[in-house]
Amino acid sequence: MTGGWTGKILDIDLTTGQISWRDTQRYTHDYLGGRALASRIAWDEIPDSIDAFDPDNRIIVTTGPLTGTLAPTSGRTVMSSLSPRLYPKSWYTHSTLGGWFGAEMKYAGLDGIMIRGKSPRPVYVEIRDSNVRLIDASDLWGVDARKTQLVLKERLGARAQVLTIGPAGENLVRFATVQHAEDNAAGHSGFGAVWGSKKLKAIAVRGTNGVAVAHPERLMREVLELGTFRIAPFSGALYTSLYTKNKTTREHRPVCSQACTFNCQVGNYGKARDGRRIPGHCVGGIAWMTPGFMKATHYSGDGVEIPPARNFGLCEEAELHELCNSLGLDSWFRLVMQPWFIRCQQLGVYQIRGFPFDPNDVYWFEQFMRELAYRQGLGAIFADDLMRAMDELEGELPEELITLGRRLEFAFGFPAHREGRFWDEEPLPFWVISAMMYASETRDPTIGGHHSSLLLADFVLADREVSRRQFRILSEKVWGYPDALEPTFEHKAPVAIWSQHQHILIDSFPLCDFSFPRIIVPPESREEWLATEDLTGDLDIDLRLFAAVTGIELSRDEVNRIAERAFTLERLMLARAGRHRQMEEEWLRPHFMLPCRADGTRIDAAGFSRILDEYFTTRGWDLEYGWPQVETLRRLGLDDAIPALEQYRQDQSRLITTKLRLPVS
Amino acid sequence: MACKIKTDPGVCRECQACTLICSLYHEGECNLNLARLQVIKDMARYEFQILVCQHCDAPECLAACPSEAIVLNEQGVAVILDDVCVRCGACAEACPYGVLFYDEAHDRYLKCDLCAGRAEGPLCVAICPVGALTLEEDKVMEEN
Repeated sequence: MTGGWTGKILDIDLTTGQISWRDTQRYTHDYLGGRALASRIAWDEIPDSIDAFDPDNRIIVTTGPLTGTLAPTSGRTVMSSLSPRLYPKSWYTHSTLGGWFGAEMKYAGLDGIMIRGKSPRPVYVEIRDSNVRLIDASDLWGVDARKTQLVLKERLGARAQVLTIGPAGENLVRFATVQHAEDNAAGHSGFGAVWGSKKLKAIAVRGTNGVAVAHPERLMREVLELGTFRIAPFSGALYTSLYTKNKTTREHRPVCSQACTFNCQVGNYGKARDGRRIPGHCVGGIAWMTPGFMKATHYSGDGVEIPPARNFGLCEEAELHELCNSLGLDSWFRLVMQPWFIRCQQLGVYQIRGFPFDPNDVYWFEQFMRELAYRQGLGAIFADDLMRAMDELEGELPEELITLGRRLEFAFGFPAHREGRFWDEEPLPFWVISAMMYASETRDPTIGGHHSSLLLADFVLADREVSRRQFRILSEKVWGYPDALEPTFEHKAPVAIWSQHQHILIDSFPLCDFSFPRIIVPPESREEWLATEDLTGDLDIDLRLFAAVTGIELSRDEVNRIAERAFTLERLMLARAGRHRQMEEEWLRPHFMLPCRADGTRIDAAGFSRILDEYFTTRGWDLEYGWPQVETLRRLGLDDAIPALEQYRQDQSRLITTKLRLPVS
Repeated sequence: MACKIKTDPGVCRECQACTLICSLYHEGECNLNLARLQVIKDMARYEFQILVCQHCDAPECLAACPSEAIVLNEQGVAVILDDVCVRCGACAEACPYGVLFYDEAHDRYLKCDLCAGRAEGPLCVAICPVGALTLEEDKVMEEN
């Protein structure tokens, strides 16, 4: 290895206390790093048929070859495990976070950390370069995520980086996060609860080495040519220039990752009442700290009524955001639970099991967050997330509320996102692409994956005709079909598959999905955008950054094959968990049959079936289960997985048969 | 003195691009410990500190060096001659800004040389996206 990887993956057994290392090199040729690398480790080592809270579940923390280098936005980390948030059962998924932890891991010589087993008492992992110790964390158990980091930085030095859970993870809240820095989190997949189940409080790392770079001059040149403080393609266009007709803002905003040199519009500073700045990003920074943004939860169609959520004001939101991060809760819970409780009040329900609530009152909300984290009062019911809370409360509340709760987390327990209905406007054809991704992925696919294609929807909303003209040129170049982004149902699978593969690569190099792939040239102003004929960006910058760092020249076809291999392994792990096409269709169809909030378009049952046919066929997967064909596995060099898949096909008892309980399906 | 690097930690956001490009240019690898400047975050207060040579008009590091290992180069920048340096640490102790760094791994001292030899100027300034590092040309030099 000439550059990029640092060579070792740490393997810790919390049950026995055994610590060992393995070489990264055995994986890098076929899986690069990050999410792709984790998919192979998980497929090989997470036992069949276990639950997320089983001690044999693994926590896999991976970086990629670019982590810790100057490559812009590369300071990212990927976490993978069986997720307790998923409904009706756990299966393998991932969650990525920015920040500074991954880089520090690399500086300690680690490309990955794998944790198995369950400690008899609370522990944290201390890594000082090659010295690794398990340390009693009884004094930190119960301490919030912010304070825990401050304590561990006292012990290891200010430059140490920490991943930690808060009280929510300790109490196995199913949407508990693993936190890092101010507001970086492996948030959506509930991995904080997996840490809690293993009695793992934190990993603190201090590395004093570096990451070798094969071609320093070339890396510097590529990075300087990308420019500094340029708009991140999928953040600036999105929130400012296209809508306001103003130039994108040049004000100073926080970054959420080491080596991010872009002007990203999805972060912002809030202010605590003591005057401290509080950085927030995406759902935290924009949705909470931007007045009016929370109202985007509002939806009305086909009898589904979701009220707008409430923004409590800048200081209050900034402090709620900090509290959420300190407790270690996924801030997305707010986007489903606050509207749900507001709807309760609209229907005359003011208390549940004797617990009164007022979702419009910031003090109640703050208290509710604490109750969730500690599983007290109402929090004891909702800590298992909305889907499971609905099962618990069925028969006690009006049916509309139970149905609404299930609809809000229709995606196997994940909240709706960029699917054209409840959150974010995705006109046809973008919600079709989104639907294909929902049906085939391990989790809400659109955090990360959406930026590679779905955020182009914002151009349509800004000007339908201009975007259509530009999209025909772009679509022909990128997907080979000029009509790939036309508002139709045809030729959408190539876009979905391309997006999924780029997403895997972004999570494996790794890079930030607000900035890569650079499918478009980010416009600095609406005027500039309107004057552009060909919007297509520089799609190979990721490969050039990879080559500069590692010294390895890979073609687009070669990396796409790596991405497809990893994606296929993720699909095999879904097959292992019993997920299959019929179930996916039954669970997702009711959602996509609702009218699209941007343009009123919808799909019927037969239409939904047809788009999945197109997707599975294009993938080389069977139409019955939506699982890879044997030839597909052979083509990807996954011959060793063929016997397992054959066994899944024989074993009908494995298939999930739980129905999504809605009045009309 | 040709120019100085002016810092504005109030706009810094700890992307570390400056330190990464510094170590990449000088050492050929990305290593925060080998950079000639340091960016440190105080998490409790969410405040940043940028430690970089102020290129004093009368460098105390140079005056303090007992072995004449710190000299002014062609651009008038104080640089450490590593071959001559006896690792006594007098320069780091004398520096009023604490910006000469001891590199423990290689037993040597590191100091900003304004990317000596790079015609376009220091890379940390070029890469900083928010203007937390800017180049301040010396007025006397400009007049000349």
